[in-house]
Amino acid sequence: MAQQRALPQSKETLLQSYNKRLKDDIKSMMDNFTEIIKTAKIEDETQVSRATQGEQDNYEMHVRASNIVRAGESLMKLVSDLKQFLILNDFPSVNEAIDQRNQQLRALQEECDRKLTALRDEVSIDLYELEEEYYSSRWRKSSSLREANDLPLCEAYWRLDLDTDAADGLAAPLQASPEPSAGPLPPAAPAHSHASGPGPTEHA
Amino acid sequence: MATYSLATEPRLRALEDIEREIGAILQNAGTVILELSKEKPNERLLHRHAAAFRASVQHVEAELSAQIRYLTQVATGQPHEGSSYSSRKDCQMALQRVDYARLKLRDVARTCEQMLEN
Repeated sequence: MAQQRALPQSKETLLQSYNKRLKDDIKSMMDNFTEIIKTAKIEDETQVSRATQGEQDNYEMHVRASNIVRAGESLMKLVSDLKQFLILNDFPSVNEAIDQRNQQLRALQEECDRKLTALRDEVSIDLYELEEEYYSSRWRKSSSLREANDLPLCEAYWRLDLDTDAADGLAAPLQASPEPSAGPLPPAAPAHSHASGPGPTEHA
Repeated sequence: MATYSLATEPRLRALEDIEREIGAILQNAGTVILELSKEKPNERLLHRHAAAFRASVQHVEAELSAQIRYLTQVATGQPHEGSSYSSRKDCQMALQRVDYARLKLRDVARTCEQMLEN
């Protein structure tokens, strides 16, 4: 076993006090119990009358029984103090508890990141298809009909692109159209119509 | 503390057993005194409980001395400065990343549903 290190005075004193408390309480229990057993012996010759002796023995037994209970309670307090001392100062176990906790948290973090990476790979495939579908569909052309506040970023970006196209005279008739399903596409609509449908009238 | 380590658990359990044994000591002592108070005490019961009382007291003393001896050996007097804060923070960030990804996916799903409705 490792040699005893030089503890600070307070810790050394504390542990010595624990030892003393233990010895005192155990001694108190044993002595008081032994005395109770001895007092229970009935003697024929007494210095005082039997009634007085009986009263005295009764009182003595009460006191000794209380002492045994007090020693028991003191031992319980000692065990509680030892538990507290153990949790705070038992460095090998505290280190192990910290390592274990670190491992658990790291494992959880790695699992989260692994699942996020897998999710990213799956979603990127779906997003690619969604973007292809969206940017080649009529919704891209009719995006100017929405309120500006409702536009998501990609749409706002494409709207800007659309406005740039409008300057070239391409999308101006589209901007005047109130609803996407109001009527057929203007003849100036570029050949962006996709397999989503021949025209908006089908969605009316 | 919910994160009892494997090394601490047996020691803390041993201390809890000692607490139960102290209760048993007092109970044995009470049984012996109660039996003595009767007109015709049962000698066998008396001997049994008295022997149990003595054995329990000696066992408690031995166990507690061993615990104090172990603490004398491992205690350094310095406060422990280790913590699991950094890994807890990293894990918290990872969980927040997951929440953020969930929010964004919900937005995408809502946008797709709106597109389909329109």
